[in-house]
Amino acid sequence: MKTTLNDITRIATFAAIIAVLGIPGAVSPFGMAVPITLQTLGVMLAGAILGWWRGAASVLVLLVLTAAGLPLLSGGRGGIGVFFVPSSGYLIGWVLGAAVVGVIVHAGATRPVWWRVALGTVVGGMLAIYAVGIPVMAAMLGLSLGEATIANFAFVPGDAIKAALTVALTMAVWKAYPRAFVTPRQPRVEPTPVSVR
Amino acid sequence: MTMLGQYRARDSILHRLPAGAKLIGLVVVIVAVVVPPPTWWGLGAGAVVVIAGYLVGRLGLAELWRQILAVRWLIVFIVVVPLIFLPIPTVLATAARVVIVLLLAAIVTLTTRTTEILDAVERALRPLRRFGVNPDRIGLMLALTIRTVPVIAGLAGELRDAQRARTGRLSVKAFVVPLLVQSLRHADDTADALAARGVE
Repeated sequence: MKTTLNDITRIATFAAIIAVLGIPGAVSPFGMAVPITLQTLGVMLAGAILGWWRGAASVLVLLVLTAAGLPLLSGGRGGIGVFFVPSSGYLIGWVLGAAVVGVIVHAGATRPVWWRVALGTVVGGMLAIYAVGIPVMAAMLGLSLGEATIANFAFVPGDAIKAALTVALTMAVWKAYPRAFVTPRQPRVEPTPVSVR
Repeated sequence: MTMLGQYRARDSILHRLPAGAKLIGLVVVIVAVVVPPPTWWGLGAGAVVVIAGYLVGRLGLAELWRQILAVRWLIVFIVVVPLIFLPIPTVLATAARVVIVLLLAAIVTLTTRTTEILDAVERALRPLRRFGVNPDRIGLMLALTIRTVPVIAGLAGELRDAQRARTGRLSVKAFVVPLLVQSLRHADDTADALAARGVE
């Protein structure tokens, strides 16, 4: 896969966006254990807007910088320790989640369609992340998969709201800045110049 | 948002060890703590290793206490949630293991500069060159991200202020859409700027 400069700067920018979405007053009912924040919204948006590999790469970049000690996760968390807590599986799941959202939204499409974004955020942004997060939580807390799945239900309402938001936001970004979705391999689609650059 | 890592500058053996060695050592110690079934002796030994680590790294027991305080809500969570399903001794032993692992990982984070870890990552990726992975580009991507976080945080701050001035309240959509558009535009401008300076 040949990366262009546009790929690199978009990956870096989206990693930064996900980090910034962790700043404004994260809602954390369980403290730092499994915080509910807008960061998963950023993960879903990364896949929906950038496509599968750029989306997954931006999450991966964020996780590498976090592991290196930068406080980029919600609540200013950072350091290698964040990968050894019961919620760590969800972080790893973000990479898979962004990729799945990207595949469902982008595969064979020239523009985002709302129902594909909705399907992508539910399958990728929720189920794929749970598929990694639940087994890790179960293993680290000594729970069975069924018990961990029950505990996981605490996050479903918040994630469902974020999935719905992702649909609205993705369609809005498509209207405002369609270039964001266009990969260098596709012809540039710019229906109407939105502003003079 | 402060972009400082959690590095504590001291002069100790742990600080001088190369980042790669510390990371491998951490994995070995964690496997030793996690793989055998938990016994009170094993957990006691883990606690001794943790305390020794903070002393050898000249971080002090005050730092150890600060690290424990930082994860106090996590401790509450990993004790309370499993209590619904499991007996108390099992829950406490599991929780103790998680906390020991966290405190060990924190030793590496506290004694290693962010740049040292990123250099170690770049070095570890070098053998992948033959599979088409370019460590220099990944290095550029990581450095660019570090530079971009404060830029995006600045954009977010301006948008929030502007929104508050106009409407007095915050809506996620009216905040995130312009943030995404401005950020992605910034990304494309940065790509143009890099290209103009001869980066390929």
